[in-house]
Amino acid sequence: MGPEELQQALAPALGDRLLGVEPFAGTAGRVRFRAEGALDLFRAVLALGFTHLSTVGGIDWVDHREVFYIAWSDDRKQYVLLSADLPADAPHIESATPVWPSANWHERETWEFVDITFDHHPDLRHLLMPDGYEFHPLLRSFKLHEPEELEVKTRHV
Amino acid sequence: MSEMWINMGPQHPMTHGLWNLRVRIDGELVLDVDPEMGYLHRGIEKISEDRHYNEVITLMDRTCYVAGFAWEHLYIIAAEQALHLRPPERAEYLRVLCEEFQRIASHLMWYAAFVQDIGLMSPFLYGMRDRDLVLDLFQSYTGARMTYEYMRVGGVRSDVPPGFTDQARKVLDWLLPRFDEYDQLCLGSEIFHKRCDNLGLLKANDCVAHGVTGPMIRSAGVKRDLRKDRPYSVYSQLDFDVALADSADVTGRYLVRMEEMRQSVRILRQVVDWLDRHPGPVVADQLPRWLGAPYAPVGKEGYLLKRNYPKGLGFSAVEEPHGEAQAYVVNEGGEHPYRVKFRSPVYANLAAARQYLVGYRVADIPPIMGSVDVCVGEVDR
Repeated sequence: MGPEELQQALAPALGDRLLGVEPFAGTAGRVRFRAEGALDLFRAVLALGFTHLSTVGGIDWVDHREVFYIAWSDDRKQYVLLSADLPADAPHIESATPVWPSANWHERETWEFVDITFDHHPDLRHLLMPDGYEFHPLLRSFKLHEPEELEVKTRHV
Repeated sequence: MSEMWINMGPQHPMTHGLWNLRVRIDGELVLDVDPEMGYLHRGIEKISEDRHYNEVITLMDRTCYVAGFAWEHLYIIAAEQALHLRPPERAEYLRVLCEEFQRIASHLMWYAAFVQDIGLMSPFLYGMRDRDLVLDLFQSYTGARMTYEYMRVGGVRSDVPPGFTDQARKVLDWLLPRFDEYDQLCLGSEIFHKRCDNLGLLKANDCVAHGVTGPMIRSAGVKRDLRKDRPYSVYSQLDFDVALADSADVTGRYLVRMEEMRQSVRILRQVVDWLDRHPGPVVADQLPRWLGAPYAPVGKEGYLLKRNYPKGLGFSAVEEPHGEAQAYVVNEGGEHPYRVKFRSPVYANLAAARQYLVGYRVADIPPIMGSVDVCVGEVDR
C-alpha cells in the first residue's frame, strides 16, 4: 500500500479533514489530518487492517505542536504514521483508546511530556514523573541548561 | 475478606529493576493491578536533544542495559535515515552479529532471573555462566561487557580483531547443546510445569489490542517478527525461522525464547562465515567531517558549530529481544537531533499487565512477571 492508495482509501470517510498523505521512510505513508473528529480517522485506519498501535508521541515545534501515531498492519506488513498539527495554546485531541486500547500509556506519557491533552482518556495521570510534577520536560522551553559563557582568567605570577 | 492495595516494589525480588506493582487483592486473589513506573527515568529523549548524533549512542547502551546493542542498532538505523547516510555492507553484518549475540545474552539473563523467580536455583548459575562467554566476545572487540558504544552513524567503530570468528564459532558450538540442557532442567521438572502451565494467559487478539509484542505475542501463535515482516539491515539475506508457541502462557514464552536462541545461533553461523569471506571497510567513506571526528574542534566555536545539513526524518523498527522497538528521529539541520522518540516493547507489555495478572493468585505474580522479561531501563528511558 502506497501513499496514493492510502489517500484514496481514507478520503471518503474524512473529506477535507484529510490534509494529505506523504511518502515516509519505508512505511505506507505519513497521513496528515485535522485534529477535529480524529476518532473517525482512527476507525478508518483500523478498518484498513492497522490493528496494532505501536506508539503515540508529540513534538513541540514552538509555534505549534505535532501529535503522531504509528500503527502496524499484520496483513499488509506495513507501518503507517498519522500526524496532526495542534495549536501551541492548549493543544488537545480525542483519545485513541476506544479504537486502540494500547494507546493508554502512550497518551499518558505524551500528555506528561509534551503537554497535549487527550480528551476522554480513561486514566490521564502521571506515568513516569511523580504526581503533582508541574513541568513538561519535552517542551523546547524546558532547558536542560542555559548556554554558559566561560571566561578564562589567566593569572600571571 | 476485605480488599486492599499492596505494593510489590519498588524493592521486591520480583521486580528485576526499580518499579512498583500495586496490586489490589482479596485474600490471595488478584483483583486489579497498577504498575507504577518512573523510578529509573533519566530523560533519555530529552538529553538526546542536547547531544551530538554519535553521543546519543552512549545513552542507547543505558536505555536497556541487558540489550544495549539492539538499542544502538535501532537508533543508528533511524539516525542514518535522518542524515541520508548508508553504512558499508560489512558494518551491517557486524551490527547483526552484535544484535544476535545480544539476543542470546539477553535471553540468558532472562532465563537466569526467571528460573530463580520460580524457585530453581541451579539453572540460574548455568545461565549466567554461559552469558559470560558471550560478554567475553563483546569485550574482545568493544572493550566493554555492558555499555559498548560500538556502533557509529555511518558504520561501526572498528572491525573485529583477528581470530574473532574462530572464537565466536567455539562459543556457538558450546552454546547450542546447552539449550537442550536448560530444557532438561526446566521442562523435565514437574515443579516447573505446575508453576508455569496455564499461567498468565494472554490470547492473540488481546495481545494485538494492547500492543503486546515480542516473545509474548509469538507464544500466542502470532507469527510477528520484524526481522521477517519488515527486514532491516541484512536480515533478508539470512536464513532463520520465527519461534512460535500456541499455549499463550508462561511455558509458551519460555519455549519461544529457547527456540529464539537456537535460531540466533543459526543466524550467527551464517554471519560469521560471511565476515570471514568479505573483508572491507566498516565506516562509510562519505561521512561529513563532524560525524567522523565528533570531538575534533572545527572552527572557532568548536564542534558545536551549526552547519547546513539537509533536514530529514528517520524511522526504524527493530525486533529487540523483548519485542518491537521503534525510534523516530527528527533532523532539523545542525548536529543535534531535534526530537528523538523511542518506543519500548516492555513498556507496552507492562501496560497490558491487567490483562494477564487479574484473576490469578499473589504467588503467581513472580512467575508471570518473570515471563514478561521486564527491563525497567527501557520502560522509563
